[in-house]
Amino acid sequence: MVTEMLFVENLHVKLEDEAREILKGLTLSVKPGEVHAIMGPNGSGKSTLSYVLSGREGYEVTEGSVTYKGDDILALEPNERAAKGIFLAFQYPIEIPGVATMQFLKVAANAQRKARGEKEFTTPEFMRHVKERAAKLNISQDMLKRPVNVGFSGGEKKRAEILQMAVLEPSLCILDETDSGLDIDALKLVAEGVNALRSPERAMIVITHYQRLLDFIVPDFVHVLSDGKIVKSGDKSLALQLEEKGYAEFTGKAA
Amino acid sequence: MNVMVSRTPAEEALGVALPSRRAEDWKWTDLRRLITGAYAPLAVEVRAADIDRMIAASPFAKLGFKRAVFVNGAFDALRSQVSGVAVSHAVPAVQQDETVIAINAALKPKGVTLRFDSNSDVPVELLHVTTDSVARSIATRNRIEVADGASATIVETHVGEGDYLAAHVTEIEIGAGARLDRVKVEQESAKATHLGHVVVSLGKDAVMRDFTLTSGAALNRQNGSIAFNGTGGDARIAGAYMLKGKQHADTKLVIDHKVPHCVSRELYKVVLDDQARGIFQGKVIVRPDAQKTDGKQSSHALLLSETAEFDAKPELEIYADDVVCGHGATAGDLNHDHMFYLKSRGIPDAEAKALLIAAFVGEAFDGIAHEGVREALVGFADTWLVKA
Repeated sequence: MVTEMLFVENLHVKLEDEAREILKGLTLSVKPGEVHAIMGPNGSGKSTLSYVLSGREGYEVTEGSVTYKGDDILALEPNERAAKGIFLAFQYPIEIPGVATMQFLKVAANAQRKARGEKEFTTPEFMRHVKERAAKLNISQDMLKRPVNVGFSGGEKKRAEILQMAVLEPSLCILDETDSGLDIDALKLVAEGVNALRSPERAMIVITHYQRLLDFIVPDFVHVLSDGKIVKSGDKSLALQLEEKGYAEFTGKAA
Repeated sequence: MNVMVSRTPAEEALGVALPSRRAEDWKWTDLRRLITGAYAPLAVEVRAADIDRMIAASPFAKLGFKRAVFVNGAFDALRSQVSGVAVSHAVPAVQQDETVIAINAALKPKGVTLRFDSNSDVPVELLHVTTDSVARSIATRNRIEVADGASATIVETHVGEGDYLAAHVTEIEIGAGARLDRVKVEQESAKATHLGHVVVSLGKDAVMRDFTLTSGAALNRQNGSIAFNGTGGDARIAGAYMLKGKQHADTKLVIDHKVPHCVSRELYKVVLDDQARGIFQGKVIVRPDAQKTDGKQSSHALLLSETAEFDAKPELEIYADDVVCGHGATAGDLNHDHMFYLKSRGIPDAEAKALLIAAFVGEAFDGIAHEGVREALVGFADTWLVKA
C-alpha cells in the first residue's frame, strides 16, 4: 500500500482578523502520482486551501492537521515548505519589479537545494537546466531577463508559473485556477507543461472553477468543495456531471 | 543672524554658530543639538598602515582608477596618481551664505582643482580617508573643471575610522557641451558626522549624471546647488540611503533653472531600518526666462521597521509659464505579497528581504554609466542587510 504524501484532516481555518470560518472540516488524502481536482463555486474556500497549504500569513488554523510526507507542516515557514517540495502556482502571479526572472529562479532553486543539504547549481548548470524547460513552454530568453512577471501578459504569467514549477521540481504541485484568463491555445500549452511533470513520485492538486481545464489535465479524483468542506468525491466523470448540472445539486443552493 | 545666549562645545570648537530646528532648512536636522562633541581642527599623527588599510577599503579599490587621496583632509601627493589631469592647489573660496560652507570655511580647508581638458576614459577617484585618533574636525575644498566639450568620470569616496566631523565643499564647473559622471559613496565611520556641499554650474548643452550613496556616519547633511547657466543642459541627480541603527541623513538639493530648455531629474531611493531617519528636501526653481524647462523630482522610502522615519519636502518655485515640472514622494514597508511569493519559492526571509531591498534601491543605480562602479554598488546593496 502506498502511503499518503499529503493528509489534510478535519481542517478548520479562519482569517486571523475575522471570526468567520472559511474551511469547516476539510479532509483530503493525496498519494504520490495522483492528480486531484478540487472544484467549487466562488467563495467555497478553494484559494484558502491553497494558501494554507503553502503557508501564507493571515490565516489561522483552529482545528485539524496537515501532514506532508509524515511531518506536520502547519508550523513551517513558506520557504521551509517549498524546500520540502510543496509548490503553489498562483492564480494571480505577483509582479516583482527590479528582480530579474533568471536571478529569482536561481536564488530560489539554490535556496531549496541548500535547505535540503544538496549541492547548489553552478551558473552554467543552471542556465542549461532553465533553457531546456523554458523552450518547452515557449518562454524566450528575453522574458527570463525581464523582472519577475512585470509586463507579462496573462498567458505569459501562467506559463512562467509552470516554468518555475518545472525548474524547482516539487513533489506536490498545487495549481490555483491555472486556467483563469487563458485562451484555448494558451491553456493547451500550460496543460502540456503540467502533464510533462506528471510522474509516479509527484502529486498534483488542481483547483479550478470550470471543467474545461480537466479536459487537458485529466485528474484521477475530483472533489467538490462547498462552504469549506468536501461534499462529494468521485472520478473524472464527476467533473462532467458538474459541468452539466452546475454546483447547485451538490451545494444545496440554487445556482 | 544667529544670536546665541551661550555657545555649545561644538560651536566653540568650530568657531561657527550652528543652526537649530528653528531654521527652516534644518528643521529635521538640528545641528546645534545633534553635534554634541567638540570637534576642533587638530593635526594628528598618522600611521601609514592605517592609511593603506583604508585605501584598500574603498569599494572601488580593485578597479584600477586614477586616484587623488586626501588623508584627514590633506591631499596626499605620494599616494595619488592623477596623470593626464591638470592639478593645481589653488582653490577659490565659495561665495554662498550657507551653514556647511561656513563651517568648512572656518576650518581653513585645503584642496585641489582637477581640470579635465579632454575626454578621459579612466575614472578618477577622490578618496577621502580619515584615520582614528582624537575627536576632531577635518575639511577639504576641491574644485572640478570639465572643459568645453570634454568628459570625465569622478568617484568620490569617503571612508574613515573613529569619531570626527568632516565638512567637504566641492565646486564643479561643467563647460559647454561637456559631460561629467560623478558618483559619491559616503561610508564614513559609524561615529562620524559628514557634512557636504556641492555647487555645480552647467554650461550650454552640458550633461551631468550624479549619484550619491549614503550608508555611513551617524549624522549626514549633504547639500547640492545645481545651476543651469546655458541652454540645453541636462542633469540627473540620483541617490540612495541605506541606513540602520540611529543613523540620520538629510539631503537638500536646489536645482536652479536660470535659462530655457534644460532638463533636471532627481531620484532618491531611501532604505531605513531600526530607528534610522532619512530626509530629502528638493527644491526646483524655474526663473522667468527658463521656458521649456523639464524638471521632475521623486523620492521613495522603504521603511524596514516601525521606528524608522522618512521626511520629504519637495518645493517647486516656478516663475515661467511654459514648463513641465513635477514631484512625488512615497514611503512604505516591504510588500507582503512580494515576500510571500519569494518565500513560497523557497527563498528564506532574510534573503527575500535582501532581494527586495536591492531591487528597490537598484532603480537609483540605473543612471550610473560606468559598469564597474554600478556593479560595486549593486554588490554593496545586495549584502547591506546582513552586514552588522
